Amino acid sequence: MQAFLQVTLSGLVTGSLYGLLALGLVLVYRTTGVLNFAYSALSTFGAAFLFVLETGRGMNFWLALPLSLIFSAVLGAAMERLFARPVLHAPVFTKAIATLALALVLSTVAQAIWPQLAFTEHFPTPFEGASFNVGGVFVTAAALMALGVTVVVVAALTLFLGRTRMGMAMRASADNQPVAQLMGAPVGRIFLLTWAVATVIGALSAIMLAAQQRTVDISYMNPVLILAFVAAVLGGLDSLPGALVGGIAVGLAQNWLALLLAGHQIGPLDISAPGIRETIIFAAFVIVLLFRPQGLFGKAELRNV
Amino acid sequence: MVTTQPTSPAPVSAAPPPTGRAGALAALRRVRASQALLLALLIVMVALPTLFDQIFGFSGAFQLHRVSLIAIFALAALAQNILTGYAAQPSLGNAAFFGLGGYLLAWLAGDLGQPYWLAIIVAMLASALIGVIIGGPALRVSGAYLAIATLGLVLIASSLFDLWDTTAGRQSYGINNLPGLLQDDHTLYYLVLLITVIVFALGWVLLRSRVGRAWVAIRDSEAAALAFGVNTTYYKLLAFIVSAALTGLAGALYAIWAQTADSSMSSVDQTIIFLAMIVVGGLGSILGSALGALFVGFLPLLLGQVPSPLTVGGLSIQVSTLTTGIYGLLLLLALIFFPAGLAAIRDHLGALAARLTRAGRSANTGGAA
Repeated sequence: MQAFLQVTLSGLVTGSLYGLLALGLVLVYRTTGVLNFAYSALSTFGAAFLFVLETGRGMNFWLALPLSLIFSAVLGAAMERLFARPVLHAPVFTKAIATLALALVLSTVAQAIWPQLAFTEHFPTPFEGASFNVGGVFVTAAALMALGVTVVVVAALTLFLGRTRMGMAMRASADNQPVAQLMGAPVGRIFLLTWAVATVIGALSAIMLAAQQRTVDISYMNPVLILAFVAAVLGGLDSLPGALVGGIAVGLAQNWLALLLAGHQIGPLDISAPGIRETIIFAAFVIVLLFRPQGLFGKAELRNV
Repeated sequence: MVTTQPTSPAPVSAAPPPTGRAGALAALRRVRASQALLLALLIVMVALPTLFDQIFGFSGAFQLHRVSLIAIFALAALAQNILTGYAAQPSLGNAAFFGLGGYLLAWLAGDLGQPYWLAIIVAMLASALIGVIIGGPALRVSGAYLAIATLGLVLIASSLFDLWDTTAGRQSYGINNLPGLLQDDHTLYYLVLLITVIVFALGWVLLRSRVGRAWVAIRDSEAAALAFGVNTTYYKLLAFIVSAALTGLAGALYAIWAQTADSSMSSVDQTIIFLAMIVVGGLGSILGSALGALFVGFLPLLLGQVPSPLTVGGLSIQVSTLTTGIYGLLLLLALIFFPAGLAAIRDHLGALAARLTRAGRSANTGGAA
């Protein structure tokens, strides 16, 4: 029972971080129609910047954090202007491949700028090692931070989208861009803001994940990106709460499966391998889509003739 | 007298095509140009081995081996283009069939000792069958959902192949009893070339037939196609089957080419390669499939000629990572400047040529028609 609770907690923590990434993906997809495959690379930049500020310049974590978030926002805005804007009117597939190409370029640039990250490095955070014992379950400070950050981001996003003028413009633009434009929504600025916000969210998620596993390297976000996509689609690509729910579902499934399959074998097959876990998650995801092609919380598509 | 001829400041269209004998000659001239080009291309490709031996000497066979890979990738590009460029199904799952074809070949021909031609056919049929199994449910899912779902299938396939390898205690599925005929770079090249030419010819016929027209109709407006009585379910399923079988064929040939089958054949990277080929080459274009395969196949080769490690100012990078970055950059530039694909250049060239000949002709006749 204790193991179950412990595993559920870590599932919730990683799940909420996946959910944050999925949120960023859905945000960009709903507003600009782009499946952002460069998201893992963009998020890694934020975490790498923080890492370099801490280790290279000996900066305090709490000072380096806002700096790296500002850096991420600027990076996201620059990416939107330089790469997303030129391919704006291209067919959907071209845009998707463009983000993939961007991911390749970004990872190369990262490797050139930060060659020290070719190896797995320790990611220093002020909340390392601190953990609390709540009824037999160990809760690390990093886990609390992750959950806290998730709550703050979701609250801030909800307030922004629901209560501010710009947020309303973003929602209108996501619903029907031409009409929103006709009604005066500053679509160009909306795109810029969307990418900037999404990149900041991604950077936060990457930083928290690095804090969780205490290490960082150049490509640690890549396997996470696929899970984030699965989470986003599972929740429904036009639903922000769905993205979060999808992320938590994936995180929980990952951890529960790890607990369930630990140490078991089928013949010569060791089914506790992470590959098997992921296969089961992807298979379940495909089956869910069969029964709900629009995802759990997505709107069934009404096609205009 | 009132003239019914409207006066216009400049001719708005070209001279009307001449009729009769002059018209037939002009048509023949047009047909001859593109067909002559094709014939020339075929001659070059058949003569390539000897050309390469002359140019490259010892490494001629090695270079030829790389060209064979481009032909194999062209098959996979055509398959993806049929599914995504013509029938407009954003399915990213073809890499699963690529791996399936490879692994089946390695198993049937390598381990079980069956004849290679039989193994290739079985690989194609198995892929077609799984294509049906996947295509059926895929009809319910659309757009980005279909894309990510099929990506999930690729990842499942990758894990399964990895599992097979791990339980068999190997890193990848090597083929040990490859007949000498298939190990020789020259014969392999001719075999791959023959298959590619046949497949592209059949594809050309298929895409100009009723089936191809149905696919284009579905792509342009599925609702309108339905209203016109096109059985969209049947044709979409057919696209999945043809695409899967073709990719399975490419996978089997790849396993012969590389003399091994690896789970990376069904990976996200492989999916990216397939998509990049058709997007850069041109969606919904046979020529585009070939051009895309050329772009994706040649670029890493060209970039591989750069010395390693490269030092620029204060930054020093390993060339392999530089290759990836430059490749990404060139891909990005290709997409920004040629969103319609490289095949669209042919249309631009054709229009340019037409304008030039028109200008020449009207200059000779001394004025507008």
